[in-house]
This record gives sequence, structure tokens and C-alpha cells, in this order.
Amino acid sequence: MNHAPLAPACAALLRRDLTLAWRQRGDIALPVLYALIVSTLFPFALGPDLALLQRIAGGAVLVTVLLAMLLALDAMFRSDIEDGSLEQLMLSPQPLAPMLGMKILAHWLTTALPLIVIAPLLASLLHLPVAVMPVLLLALLLATPLISLLGAVLVALTAGSRRSGMLLALMLLPLCVPVVIFAAGALAAAQQGLPWIAPIAWLGAALALAVVLAPLACAAALRIALDS
Amino acid sequence: MAKWIPLWLHKLSSPPTFYAFAGKVRPWAIALALILGVIALYGALVLAPPDYQQGDDYRIIFIHVPSAWMSLFIYAVMGVSAFIALVWRIKLAEVVAMESAPIGAAFTFITLVTGSLWGERMWGTWWTWDARLTSELVLLFLYLGVIGLYHSFEDRRQGARAAAFLAIIGIINVPIVHFSVQWWNTLHQGSTVNLFGKSHIATDMLWPLLTMMVATKAYYVASLCGRVRTDLLALEGGKDWVRKIAAAEKSR
Amino acid sequence: MSGSFESFLAMGGYAAYVWPSYAVFLLVLLADWLAPAFRRRRILRELRGRMARQSARERGKDGAAPFPPAP
Repeated sequence: MNHAPLAPACAALLRRDLTLAWRQRGDIALPVLYALIVSTLFPFALGPDLALLQRIAGGAVLVTVLLAMLLALDAMFRSDIEDGSLEQLMLSPQPLAPMLGMKILAHWLTTALPLIVIAPLLASLLHLPVAVMPVLLLALLLATPLISLLGAVLVALTAGSRRSGMLLALMLLPLCVPVVIFAAGALAAAQQGLPWIAPIAWLGAALALAVVLAPLACAAALRIALDS
Repeated sequence: MAKWIPLWLHKLSSPPTFYAFAGKVRPWAIALALILGVIALYGALVLAPPDYQQGDDYRIIFIHVPSAWMSLFIYAVMGVSAFIALVWRIKLAEVVAMESAPIGAAFTFITLVTGSLWGERMWGTWWTWDARLTSELVLLFLYLGVIGLYHSFEDRRQGARAAAFLAIIGIINVPIVHFSVQWWNTLHQGSTVNLFGKSHIATDMLWPLLTMMVATKAYYVASLCGRVRTDLLALEGGKDWVRKIAAAEKSR
Repeated sequence: MSGSFESFLAMGGYAAYVWPSYAVFLLVLLADWLAPAFRRRRILRELRGRMARQSARERGKDGAAPFPPAP
């Protein structure tokens, strides 16, 4: 029996997921809308004081983006589990890990990328200095895929369970802590005019590790959670 | 080498044998824990002199520090048995990992509460965001995540295996959190007890601390035995040996 | 004697910190100790109920008693 080689299979899976996401365009807009709402609430809660808003802007945008991602994370494999296509994927001759990597990539492209695109808008709503904007984007570009990859492992673990939602947040929090610390550390350093390359480099190293390991862990977790 | 050790371990991992074995170990362990615990409490609250800087307030460390050690020790036990459960699919290892989690969470909770009560006076605030406190809090979340994931599955064994995987992820995560929070902020006083080097605290204070440490270890063994026995009864409900126990308990 | 006992309770003025710590320690561990005992009782009770239903069913199969006797 001959079957499709890995690369075309990955491309087909990516195309399928992106097409499915495009047909549900409204769902893409939801996290963006959520992030926008949360960011506009900050000034109302804290007052329009420019210096205060400037100081918290970086961290506030970061946390808002992470929470918006958490909101969408739950749905990463849900429809695929419900219609059985995830089990098809597990039975397919191609290795599971790279295929799941593609699914994670598709999820990142449809949920995190729109958030990164509007992040400058959110940041300027909170008066983040323009000079810090590139660092914010860089930190988000490294931190959001990290969250997607780590989150995917946990979503896979909850795949066979009755309820997730709150449980997913509880499980993700410990994994999020270092990511938030380094991303926010880079922002804080940049805002004070200090060198910010070290935390960014740590994030990059973590991302490189996660890109290799997380799909493997995700595949193992999925086999455990759906093994019956 | 003695060949009976692997054979004995193999036999022990069968649920009815372990049920009986744990039943024998449990009373001894809890007796040891109670005796040592009372001795340690007497040493901690009565015999140990007040600290020349902190007065009597420092007496909290006699429960705070052993609890903190236990919270890490139990996580290590849970991680190792989770690994064994996933690699060799041994039912007993799954049960040990899952039943360790609530005990570990209890000790972590004690560590956080006593630490806060101590810090309230020492630093003037009950909570600071330093590496050790934050790691302990993250440890509590990990324990709760493991417990929550375990109970969210219909199938208990499947839940145990998923939660075991989460426990292993957590083992990698705790040092990373500790390191990153240390990088972020450090306020805490340095470590005062070093088992392998010269200790900085007086013998009068050291022996109740070490006795309490052994007592909490013995308590953990006793509590784990009780929990594993209970869980084995639940898991093996359809088997003959459990039915015999149920019938025997009724006639009593 | 009572004076020394009172000073013991006062913990050099830190009673409000020391005693709650020890209380939390003992209470949490006590709860941890009792929880499996209750769970064990419940499991065995449910198991006995299941066994009783099963044996009633088996007796019913033999034709001796089609239904378990009314309480």
C-alpha cells in the first residue's frame, strides 16, 4: 500500500484546517473582540492617568492576549473529536506528531495572529511608548506560539474528559508563568531603556524546544486520553 | 544478586497482595508518625529556646519547613510512580500516583498558610512574590490540576494515565518556574538548613525539625496506605477478594 | 505553674501566629486522614448493595423468587 508522503499530507491538513476556520470567520473575530473589550476596560478601572497607563500597558496587553488565547484554546481539537476526524488522523499512516504540529500551526494562525495584528492598537489605547512597540510585537511573536504549543498538550490531555474549560486554565497557569515573566520582563526592560535581548533570547530558546517537543508530547497525550 | 527482590516486587504490585501489605504497614506507620510527632511538638513548642531575633514566632518553622519538604518529596514520588505507570502500565503505580496528589496538596496548602502567618510578622506582609513562595503556589496549582484532570474522566484508569502525564510535565515545569521567578525577583532570606553542610541553626532547634520531618514522612506512608487500599477497593469492585472484604465487614 | 502555662500559651506575644499555624497543620492532616475512611465505608456499602441485588437476581433466575421480597 502506498500512501501520501509526509509533506503533502501536512500541507493538505493545514489547508483543510484553514478552510474550516475561514468558513467560521465569526469565531476568529471573537478573541479579538474580547481583547479589545478588556483593553478598553483598563483605563476605566484605573483612571486616565497617562503615566500609570504607560507603566502597565505592556503587561496589560500581554495578559489580555494570553487570556484571549486561553478562551480559544478549548476549541482546538473539539470539532475534530466530535466528528471523529481526529481518530482518523491517529489511524492514518503518517506520523501523528507532525500532523498535530500542523493543526497547532493552523490554530495559531487563526487565533493568535489576529491578536498580534491588533496588539499595537491595544497598546496605543493604553499609551504604550512607540519605541517599545517592536519589542512588544517580538515578545508576542515568540510567546503566543509557545502558549499554543503548551496549551495543545493540555487540550490533548483533556480530550477524553467530560468537562474542560476551567480545568484547562488551572492546568495552563503553571506553564504560563515563565512565559509571562520573560515576555513582560523584556517589555519592562525596553521601557526603562535597558537591554531587553536576554529575556527575548530565553523565549526564543524555549520556543525552539517547544516546537520540537510539544507535538511529540501532544501526540503521546492524545493517545493516552483517547485510548479506550 | 538476590533474585527474590524483583519477584517480591512483582507479587507486591498485584492489588490483593498490596492491599494486605498496606494493611499491615499502616498501623505501624501511623504509630511512628504519632509518637515522633508528639516528641517533635514537645521539642518544638517547649524545649527549644526562643530565637534571639524572632522570639517565639520562629516556632512556625517546625511545621512549615517539614511541610515544604513533604510537598516536594510527595511530588517527586508522584512523578516517579506516574512515570512507572505510563511506561509499564502497572495499575498499582497509577493508584499510588493519584492517591499521593491529595496528600501532597494538603502539605502544600499547610506550607502556604503557615508561611503566610510567619511572613505576616517577619516581612510585614503575608505574601511576597519571591521565587520560593511562587513555586510553592504553582506546585499547589499543579497538584490541583492533576486531581482535577483525574476526576474529569469517566474511565478512572484513563483519567489516571492522563493525570500521570500532567504530573510528569509538572516535574519539568517546577524548576523552570523557580528559576524564572528568581530571575524576576528575589526577596527571601537564604536557606537556613543544609543537611549536607554546616547547619546555621542550633541543635536545640534542629532535632525537633528533623524529628518532625521523619514524622511527616511516616504520616505520608500511613495516609498513602489507607488511600491506596480504599482506591483499590473501588477499582477492583467486581473481583472476588473485594467482595469477600465487603461481606466480612458486614458481618462485623 | 499556671503562670508558666499562660506564658506558654502566649508564645511571647505571637500566639496569634503560632497557634493558628499548628491548628491548620493538625486540622488539614486530620481531614486528610478521615477522608479515605469515609470513602471506604461508602464504597463497601455500595458494593454490598450491588452484591445483594445480584444475588436476588440470581435467585429470581432459578424461579424461586421472581422479585426481591418487599421490605
